[in-house]
Formats: sequence, C-alpha cells, structure tokens
Amino acid sequence: MKKLISLLYKDYLLLIRDVAGLCLMFLMPIALVFLMTFLQNDIIGKVNEAEISVIMLNLDNDILGNSIEKHISESESFVLTKSKNSENELRIAVARGNYMIGIVVPENASDSIRLNAKRAVQKGFKGEKYESKDSVTIHILIDPTLKTSFRNTLMSTMKEYSAKTERDFLLQELLAALNQSFPFMLGTIQLDGNQVNFDVQYALKDENAAVPNATQHNVPAWTLFAIFFISLSLSVGLINERKDGSFKRLLALPCTYFQYLLSKSILFLFVCLLQFALLFALGIYLFPHLGLPKLLLGDNAWLLLPMCICSSLAAIGFGIFIGKITTDHQQAAVLAALSVVIFAAIGGIWIPVFTMPEIMKIISKISPLNWGLNGFYNILIRNGTLMDILPECAYSLGFAVVCMGIALGYNRRRKI
Amino acid sequence: MSEIIIQVNNVNKTYRGSYTPALRNFSIEVREGEIFGLLGPNGAGKSTLLNILSGLLTFDTGNISICGRNMPQQLNEIKPLIGVVPQEIALYPTLTAVENLKIFGGIYGIISKELKQRMDNLLNYFGLEQSKNRQIKTYSGGMKRRINLIAGLLHQPKVLFLDEPTVSVDVQSKTLILDNLKEINAQGTTIIYTSHFMEEAEMLCSRVAFMDEGKLLCKDTPQNLIQNTNCPNLESLYLKLTGKTLRD
Ligand SMILES: Nc1ncnc2c1ncn2[C@@H]1O[C@H](COP(=O)(O)OP(=O)(O)OP(=O)(O)O)[C@@H](O)[C@H]1O
Ligand SMILES: [Mg+2]
Repeated sequence: MKKLISLLYKDYLLLIRDVAGLCLMFLMPIALVFLMTFLQNDIIGKVNEAEISVIMLNLDNDILGNSIEKHISESESFVLTKSKNSENELRIAVARGNYMIGIVVPENASDSIRLNAKRAVQKGFKGEKYESKDSVTIHILIDPTLKTSFRNTLMSTMKEYSAKTERDFLLQELLAALNQSFPFMLGTIQLDGNQVNFDVQYALKDENAAVPNATQHNVPAWTLFAIFFISLSLSVGLINERKDGSFKRLLALPCTYFQYLLSKSILFLFVCLLQFALLFALGIYLFPHLGLPKLLLGDNAWLLLPMCICSSLAAIGFGIFIGKITTDHQQAAVLAALSVVIFAAIGGIWIPVFTMPEIMKIISKISPLNWGLNGFYNILIRNGTLMDILPECAYSLGFAVVCMGIALGYNRRRKI
Repeated sequence: MSEIIIQVNNVNKTYRGSYTPALRNFSIEVREGEIFGLLGPNGAGKSTLLNILSGLLTFDTGNISICGRNMPQQLNEIKPLIGVVPQEIALYPTLTAVENLKIFGGIYGIISKELKQRMDNLLNYFGLEQSKNRQIKTYSGGMKRRINLIAGLLHQPKVLFLDEPTVSVDVQSKTLILDNLKEINAQGTTIIYTSHFMEEAEMLCSRVAFMDEGKLLCKDTPQNLIQNTNCPNLESLYLKLTGKTLRD
C-alpha cells in the first residue's frame, strides 16, 4: 500500500508539473464543447425558425393563387413577401439573393382549371373521354444555395394545393351537372379536410427523456474526446520516464510493472472523471445562461458513472499501449493524437453516425469512442437502463484489457 | 575469509538484434565487505553486467546468485537488498530532490519518520541541504551525480551497484563521493563499482576485474596485479591488457 501511495504521489506530481498537458486535458475540451454546440445549435435553429424568405407574384388572384399564398404565409418555415412587380423583376430579386424562393402563379390559372373541370364533367356525362388542354404552369425560382430539403417541402406544399384545387373544381362542376339532371337539389358535398391526422413524436423509451439537440450530442461527444485525448499525455509520460532513466530505477526497486501501471491508471481515471464532471456541469449549469439548450440527464443519470469509468479505462489502456509500442515522444504524440482524431471522426463525435453512409455506419462500430457515445446516448436520450449500456461497457472494458495485456506481455519480453 | 555474497557463473548475454555477445562466459565472485572494481574500455560490458545484477536485464545462459538467492527466480527477494546507482541520472527531472527521495524511499517501504531522518543526513553530507527543494533539472552535473547516488543509498542496502559514480564531477564532489563510499563500506555494505579512473580504483578497491569485449581478462587485488605483471600501476596494466585501439 505504501508503495502504491508513493507511486500515486509521483504520478500526481508529474501530472501537475506538466502545464501544457493539463491545458490539453481541460481547456481544449471546454473550448471544443462550446464551439461545437454554438455552431450546431445555430444550424438546427435555422431549420426551426422562419428563415426561408419567399416572394410571390399572385397574378391569378383566385382560388389556386390565394390558397397557396395563404398556406405559405401561415407556414412556420417560410416568410412570405407579396410582389406587385413583373415576373422579370422577381427573378432578379431572387438572383440577387434577396429571397430564397420566388413563385409566380399566372393570370387566370384558377379559371383554366375550372374550365378544364367543366369540360371533363360535360364529356364524362356524354360517356366520352376528355383530354385536358390549357394546363397551368406555376414558375418557381430558387436560389442555388437553397437546401434540397426545403425545396422538397415547398414542392410538396404546392403540389398538395394545386391537386386540392383541381379536386374542388371537379366536385363543384359534378354537383352543378347533377343538379341539372336530378329531380331535387343536392347540397354541397364536402369533408372537413381533417379525416386523417398525423401525430409526430420522437421515438423515446418514455416521456421524460430528453429531446436530441446540439447539447445532448456535443457534451457527451466532447467529454469522450477529452477522455480519449489523455492517451496522449499518458503515452508521452511513459516515454519520458523511460527516457530520463527514472523508469529504470523503478524497475530496480521492489515494485512491479503492474503496480507501476496501476498507479498511472488510478490517477488518469481520476483525471477522466474530473473532465466528465466539468464538461457535464458546464452543460447543465452554464449552457442555459448562454442561450444554449440545457443538458438533461434523463431518469437514470447514475448510469453515466459506470459508462464513464469503462470508457476512461479504454482510453487509459490505449494510452499505455501507445506508450509501450513507441520509442520516442514525437512518435507517441503523433500516433496517439492521430488515432484519437480518427477514432472520433469515424465514431460520430464530429458528425453523428446516423448521418453517415451505410459503410461508415459499419466502420464506426470499431471506434471505442463510438461505444462510449452510444452508451451516453442510451442514458441521455433514450432513457435506457443498465441492461442497455452493458454491451458498450463490455466492449470498452474488453478493449482496455487487450491493450494493457499487450503492454504487459511486451514488457515481459523486453526489460527497460 | 568472509562469505561470497555475489556469484556469477558462465553468464552469456547477447542483446536482441545484435550479433556480438555483450558478455561471454563471464564468471566472478564477490565477497561480503568488498569494494569490487569492474574495469575495462567502452563497450566492454560493464553496464550490461551491472544491469543484469540489478534485475533490469535478462541474461541468456549461466547462473547468478546474490545474498544466497537465485536470479531471476528470487528477484523480488533480492531487490530490497540491493541499491542501484545507474550510469545515467535516473531521477524525475521535474520533481525536487526531496520529492524524488520521498518517492523512492516510499517504494522501499521506509517509514516516513525514518525516511526523513536519512534524507536529511544524506542531503547534509552531500551538501544538497540548501537546494533540496529545487527541481532536479535545475541542478548542475555534479549535483545530479550526488543526488543520483543518494537515491541508491536511502534504504541502506547490503549490496550497492555503482555504474561510474564519479564521471563528470569536479575533484571536490569526487572526493566527497569516494569518502562516503569508504564510509558505508566500513559499515558493512558490499560495493561493486565501475570506473574509467584507474588511480581511483587502485586506491578504493579491495579487488578489481579487467574485462574487454564481454570477456573477463583477469581479477585480483590491485597490489597483486601490479606486482605479478611488473607494471608500475593499474593504468599501464590496463593499456597492456586492452591495447590502444579505440572501442565503440
Ligand atoms: N540496448 C542495447 N542493444 C544492443 N546492444 C547494446 C545495448 N546496450 C549495450 N549494447 C552493446 O553491448 C556492449 C556492452 O555495452 P555496455 O554498455 O555494457 O558497455 P560498458 O562497458 O558499460 O561501456 P561504457 O564504459 O562506455 O559505459 C557494447 O558493444 C554495446 O554496444
Ligand atoms: Mg557503461
């Protein structure tokens, strides 16, 4: 025990004398979590707020033009400006970037549809087939930077309303024709338009779970990044001890390599837990004051601790492994930093895994950061239980054991 | 005659990736209370032998026993009995002298009060009392040598391995170090020591062994060696034995 305390005291002193390393461990993740949450929150915000500007020239001024106009002005996704100018001026306004979308509903558009409906009904009553003519073209002008998803939203709205107008006219004409040949008058035939309703919800395990947002992703993601980044300080520390000869003296002392690694692991586990506490506290207490969504922990917040410990051990194992297989600082630093950044990228730290192509989704499974992130998602977003994070904990622990096993085995073969 | 405390029998060692052996059929025995000098040119295998004896390196064939315990099977029992002062400064450069000593003493399991006492005595003796709270990296070469030596003496070992303890130090430091070695030897510590200073070895050692290219050339008391070979001193014997060609 006295040995372990002495080793811990040594590792603690080495850690606090390494100012650059401490900055890397604590300041870098704080900067990253703020930056990334602000950036992503802004993008997500744009989608929800009425940001897409639409200019519309309604030359029709009848049912079709008016119903499209009404719907767009009521929609939350669009801000509508009515134009009184010519189509050409509208085109210039969109090309200049003043508006994202321009819509021109031509003169007499409703009349043409109405006329077609009338002709179709008349022909139908005579038992003849009708081929519509004088079809209507609505011109839509789009800013090249507009996202496809917004274009699709707009198009489906337009299609919905033109189809509805066509149907309404057809029904009207049908009714008029029937009233002419029927012995008694039919009233209007109409459904109130609410026969099919849509209930859209996030698929959560229960009602109290948090809604995914920039905070719920970025806080656990960058906490994991910070935790894995300690493998850099850890491996460089191991190399330093080998280089300055102090490791040689330790080996000559009554202390085993295992005890030496145990002390390092305990200290760095403590560092990881500190990083975790710090970043999560920022998400909970500071984010709301900065206009960012507050971090919500879900119902089973205590599960965060075992998940964090397992991920930290994976990171520590990885650091020890790198420190053992490399021979100088530069090698260790480059290898550790590079592999953590790559693991982070494929593991969904920068951009969430669900936005990746299929092949990357499969590759992401090999990243220890992905296991950690999934575990955190299970707790924070899906309100999962212990059973839900067991696989992620097991993978992380397995990874830690393999890494440390290799380091110990390698040490047996080659002293100093 | 006193008991044999270190027995090295036909030890061979070839480093991995190297073709020439660093030790070839090497045998020596050291008796309790001796100051035994290992002498030889660069690359002779002196550090290799001391590293093997301190349990830092494995050897290929042969037998070694220290204080009646076999290497490497009983290494864990041997470690508390030996003190090691490596050729390079083996301390934490960003830690102070006191911190370094506390850590190494703690690993030996010396109780705090006793440890403090010994630290104060040794730091005082070696003139480091004033600078004991400075980081080692701010020390001069001579100060580093002295603190490196102290770290090997803290637990009062039965056997002390010293690899060139007086290299790159001034005459004052050197005298102090040698005086201390004689003192602890008088108190019962057996010392094995390597050096390139023949005069120093002649004055200090009860017996010396000459080695070159991993082989033992001869061993005896300095007086016997000088008499039997008709050389004026160890230095001329050394040159006679090892020639004048440069080594790697
Ligand atoms: N880690 C190593 N790998 C391969 N060969 C080594 C290694 N360390 C030492 N050697 C070789 O082993 C031989 C003995 O080296 P050693 O360091 O024991 O010599 P030495 O007598 O201590 O020399 P010096 O007086 O220069 O310290 C030399 O040929 C050296 O090149
Ligand atoms: Mg040497």
